[in-house]
Amino acid sequence: MNAPVEDRREEWEGPVPVPTGATEPFWEATLEGDLLFQECDCGNRQLYPRAVCTDCGAEDPPFEESEGVGTIYTYTVCHVPGEPGFGDRTPYVVGAIELAEGPRLLAMIDADPDDLEVGTPVAVRFWRISDEAAMPVFVPE
Amino acid sequence: MAEPILAGVAESDLGETPDRNWLDNAAIATVRALEDAGCALEEVDGVAVAGGNDYMPALILSEYLDLEEPSFLEGTEIGGSSFEHFCGHVRDAMARDEADVVVVAYGSTGKTGPGRDQSLEVTHPVDGFVRPTGLFRPPGAYAMAARRHMHEYGTTEKQLAEIAVATREWASMNPKAAQQEPITVDDVLESRQIAEPFNLLDCCLVSDGGGAVVLVSEEKARELGVPPISVAGVASTSTHRQDISEMPDMTTTGAAVTGPKAFEQAGITHDDVDVAQLYDSFTYTALVTLEDLGFCEKGEGGEFVSGGTTAPGGELPMNTQGGGLSYCHPGHFGVFVLIEAVRQLRGDYTGERQVDDAEVAVAHGTGGILSSSSTVVLRREA
Repeated sequence: MNAPVEDRREEWEGPVPVPTGATEPFWEATLEGDLLFQECDCGNRQLYPRAVCTDCGAEDPPFEESEGVGTIYTYTVCHVPGEPGFGDRTPYVVGAIELAEGPRLLAMIDADPDDLEVGTPVAVRFWRISDEAAMPVFVPE
Repeated sequence: MAEPILAGVAESDLGETPDRNWLDNAAIATVRALEDAGCALEEVDGVAVAGGNDYMPALILSEYLDLEEPSFLEGTEIGGSSFEHFCGHVRDAMARDEADVVVVAYGSTGKTGPGRDQSLEVTHPVDGFVRPTGLFRPPGAYAMAARRHMHEYGTTEKQLAEIAVATREWASMNPKAAQQEPITVDDVLESRQIAEPFNLLDCCLVSDGGGAVVLVSEEKARELGVPPISVAGVASTSTHRQDISEMPDMTTTGAAVTGPKAFEQAGITHDDVDVAQLYDSFTYTALVTLEDLGFCEKGEGGEFVSGGTTAPGGELPMNTQGGGLSYCHPGHFGVFVLIEAVRQLRGDYTGERQVDDAEVAVAHGTGGILSSSSTVVLRREA
């Protein structure tokens, strides 16, 4: 898929993920512009990455690459910063994205709130915010 | 089954308690609740605490109160519904004769105490997926759920605001309520934007304070001569932890499971319920809980709350102390819904604040971010 990865390390003042265990492959892939989810041999698809399949209990379900597109399941416009380092950015949009493959993830949405509604099709981009991770950010398609 | 009796209830001082820590507030609420029950501290043989800033809260409260070998200890942390959840465990313990006098307590300095540790927690991998998005939690997460409800069912901001207005009307009669000035729907809609679709008055207060409930065995209740307010039904569940995107269906909470169970145990229907005390961290929390407990059909909560249904004189008096929206909200509000349910069933109030001849109350706790749900049916026995 290889979505664009924008380097925002210099300006980022918010928290950064700490890749550990089952989440390491996910965060490694973000640096290359790839969005991964887990798809177990039993067919279950899941995100965030876990050491077990939530359907059949298989250990270390393998990762698959998402197409990086989906729709907005719901969203909010934060007028109060939820984290230190987000103060200058208010108001900003955070949403729950339903990926085309099924799993849902929470993500920043980089768009004017007036252009958004529940169901709006979106595609992923990445903001690299540390040496180890880039955050998925969605924009209207 | 022997049903525990809610023998005493009390709050600590609410609002700002800069000279107290969470434990002080929990202990103060405890001794006041014991006084309310006419019970001595030395008679306490069980302690249940949640939400304290300590990883062994039941032990520290027991030590602080210098209890002698308590036989029942509970510290299950499921957020704001922990105290309703405890009622079930207390019932089981009393059925086994494990304890006679159990204190369920909470304390916090949510307003004046030190802020939360801001370092990114790595013990739960989902936090790395949530916190860097900057989502303002909890309001933004609840707001996302509310937006989904609006999308699916046409619920409006105005309908959500009706809940805040009705709740404030109750608060105007409660001298302990932090906000007592009546408000209108327009006041809510015009208040500062927090996390769309929520404005400031859709959101609960932030307070210091504590609360406690004393549960005693039937035998002990007779000895104390307290009004027999019983735990007639109780059930708990959870749907996810803190990440709202993990909530299976943002328009339905665990109350849809716990409500029917608790009602069935108590042998009641909705028509029997005289007063409802439902966790209202946000206007939406109360709305979705009303639907899930079955007071109206799914999706019809907005219509149900319109026109003062939950206000004084309404069909279903709700959050009669002013709720988390107007009375206090020190973090885990669940203990306060139990306290008010008991007071209404005892007939503690006068005038419009007292729900006429209230015999059955529903107290519902919500924890995390719409994550845990616990329903208790309380009844004034003959």
